[in-house]
Amino acid sequence: MSDTFVSLQKLSLAYGQTLVVPDLDLDIRKGELIALLGPSGCGKTTTMRAIAGLMAPQSGHILIDSQDVTRVPANKRGIGLVFQSYALFPHLSAFENVAFGLRLKKLANSDITKRVDQGLETMGLAHLAKRKPDDMSGGQQQRLSLARSLVMEPKVLLLDEPLSNLDARLRLDMRLELQRVQRETGITMVFVTHDQAEALALADRIVLMKDGKIEQLGTPDELYNAPQTRFAADFLGFQNIFEVVDQTIIGEGNALPLSFQTTARYLAWRPGAVALEKGEYEGTIKGVSFAGEQREFVIEAPIGQVKAATPAANPQHQIGETIRFHLPSEGACELSH
Amino acid sequence: MFQNRKEGIALALPAAVFTVVLFLLPVGILLSEAFKVDGLWSIQGYFDFAVKPLNQTVFLRTLKLGFLVALVSAIIGYACAFCIVNLDGKHRGRVFGLIVLPLMISPVARTYAWIVILGRTGIVNDTIIGLGLSETPIRILFTETAVFIGLLQLFLPLMIISLVSAMENLPSDVIPAARVLGASWFQVFTKIILPLTKDGLVIGGTLVFTGSLTAYITPAILGGSKVLMLETLLYQRVNVANDFVSAGIIATILIVMSFGANLLLKRIATARA
Amino acid sequence: MNNKFASHLIIGLTLTFLIGPFLIIILAGLSAGDFMTFPPDGISLKWYIKVFTVESFRESFWLSMFLAVFGTICALVLGIPAAYAISRYDLPYSETIKTIVAAPIIVPGIIVGLALLRYLVVPLNFTVTLALFMAHTALVLPYAVRVVSSSLNNLRADIEEAAVLLGCTRLGAFMRVVLPNIRSGVLAAFILGFVTSFNQVPVSLFLSGPGVRTLPIDMLGYMEITYDPSVAALSALLAFLSVAIVFVAEKFLGFSRYV
Repeated sequence: MSDTFVSLQKLSLAYGQTLVVPDLDLDIRKGELIALLGPSGCGKTTTMRAIAGLMAPQSGHILIDSQDVTRVPANKRGIGLVFQSYALFPHLSAFENVAFGLRLKKLANSDITKRVDQGLETMGLAHLAKRKPDDMSGGQQQRLSLARSLVMEPKVLLLDEPLSNLDARLRLDMRLELQRVQRETGITMVFVTHDQAEALALADRIVLMKDGKIEQLGTPDELYNAPQTRFAADFLGFQNIFEVVDQTIIGEGNALPLSFQTTARYLAWRPGAVALEKGEYEGTIKGVSFAGEQREFVIEAPIGQVKAATPAANPQHQIGETIRFHLPSEGACELSH
Repeated sequence: MFQNRKEGIALALPAAVFTVVLFLLPVGILLSEAFKVDGLWSIQGYFDFAVKPLNQTVFLRTLKLGFLVALVSAIIGYACAFCIVNLDGKHRGRVFGLIVLPLMISPVARTYAWIVILGRTGIVNDTIIGLGLSETPIRILFTETAVFIGLLQLFLPLMIISLVSAMENLPSDVIPAARVLGASWFQVFTKIILPLTKDGLVIGGTLVFTGSLTAYITPAILGGSKVLMLETLLYQRVNVANDFVSAGIIATILIVMSFGANLLLKRIATARA
Repeated sequence: MNNKFASHLIIGLTLTFLIGPFLIIILAGLSAGDFMTFPPDGISLKWYIKVFTVESFRESFWLSMFLAVFGTICALVLGIPAAYAISRYDLPYSETIKTIVAAPIIVPGIIVGLALLRYLVVPLNFTVTLALFMAHTALVLPYAVRVVSSSLNNLRADIEEAAVLLGCTRLGAFMRVVLPNIRSGVLAAFILGFVTSFNQVPVSLFLSGPGVRTLPIDMLGYMEITYDPSVAALSALLAFLSVAIVFVAEKFLGFSRYV
């Protein structure tokens, strides 16, 4: 692709004897915000560290802006990395933290002051310039960490779980912040997360990873509405996944006839797609929880557990009740593996 | 339940009294000899002591070696600590155990080994002659170098332990963060590691320095009477010349220096807490 | 990082420097020849055996053991209450008490031995052994207090209060609730004290006399007049002893937590 900015080619990454990422190929476009999404241990953080140069690949190549940087050490790659722990220097003030990288470049003092002030200003931290990181709130610390990386004008900005340490409100703020930065600077951004909601909200494209391999690569829309594997479906919220044989759903040694035709081997439904109070299947309610806008139910059915969710305004049900439910063709996701 | 102070004092008293009566008093009296001349209080003894060239040499040598051992152990210590901290758990424990092990072994055994190594017919000389670097064995024993080596081996573990502890407390990821921002390894050391571990460095340095000051066996065995340090001089003054005044003076100097170092340590410990 | 090799090299060199000498004297003691050389000419256990036959070593060994065991016990008997008082009660002058108790470590050992000799042994007719015993106790006491304090600080005080509310006397609460929980700290203090006492030299220098010598002092005397490999064998054995004690301690508990 002509606008490929970062290219991972046949990348193999290992810790000691354990091969974490066997053979990764990925092209990241210039200016895009791409998410590496997956459960812990899937290799997403390892891949990010390899891009940063903090980990040497066993084999393969990493290209940034058409240059092979595989052998280039971490301090010469021109990449920014915002750590999950923020990694702020506790012995330096906010100003000095942001100035750190610039001072290493031996820029003129006036230059440095100008750029740092501006960087702090953009992040709304100008009034905290003299404070030490330990005297700042979590949200401020993260913005400081971001400012420190951005002031270096990196070619690529990597972020490790940028929203996971924040409470719900701050998470929203930070999301907007990251999107703003991306819009204004056009930096290519790669962020790592285990939270599908984060990835869906922020990313232009999502790389869903499992066991060091790419499970599915696509836009948030594609992943949300059309996952291609059971793992992807499960990860993205299709909590009801069943095997289909001869137009029947199979589970727990039981079979229920399907109400529609399909050639898929597996079918998946989101909890919201399950229709309650009518339908040809029956089950007992084992669990009820209130989630604000929705009520969620765990139903014990012959084929196994079925998770359903209805708008909270709908009538309630108690644990122990028998309830009818329906697995419709609308909202059914067809999967082959 | 712990309001009754008298109870507390009663519990702590035996230990305190024991130490004071059976220890501090005798020592105090002995030290006071240093302040007396012909039975009268005076610090003339100190002047007489300070004036003699031998005493000056010994004093300066003791200080010099103390600093040198502290400095070299700091350099080696940082290198080691950095490597240890990057090891994985199982290996780290084993290496750490091996490093601490020598501390448990009697200084007599630890020092004696050096005689075998540094002596005229020892390994070092055998190697040197074998490689043709010298015709005759060179004297290493009974030089400051020998004492230095012995002290270094004795106290290096203390420095390493102190630095490893300090480095383990570094905030996570500050080193990779500095690297990504462009720092070379040397810059990472000077700008990040050194400032953030300086407490550990001071603690280790003080332990090593005071240890070297007050060491007896190692200077005695490896330095003998050719390379006198304050403690071996002390012993010599008492054993050979029955000169308790000098002994008291030297002891007071050592105690003051140790005490000063310990105060410094405590100041740092409370600042951290 | 490609620095694994460099890393292992640095650690390897340092460990060689720290531990190598012991390996050397172990081997030097195995020499079949009559002179202290390394590498040894031939292998023989005769020097190690010779060490065991020296009469005075056996006596001094037992003396050292006695001092180490009972001195440490005595230090614990004094030290545990003191540590308890310091950590649980808000004592006035607690800093002073801590400093007093820690003092023996700061004073040069030679002075201690000398002072005890001049002011306790000679005038008050204390036996040398008694003086040694007190000196060793005083030297171990600071370690005992420090280690046990550390253990106590990690133990919450409210469990004692709970025990008292359930009907225990103060002493009962201490025995049933505190002691079992600081047991490994006490054990660690014992090991530390034992090793410190056993290896102690400067204090014992003046307080030793004919028939009353700790093992290290005896060894020093022997080393001054003997030049055969039995000295190396002796050092090696002493080193083994210390290591063995530590390994035993490590088996019972990971005691580096409490230092």
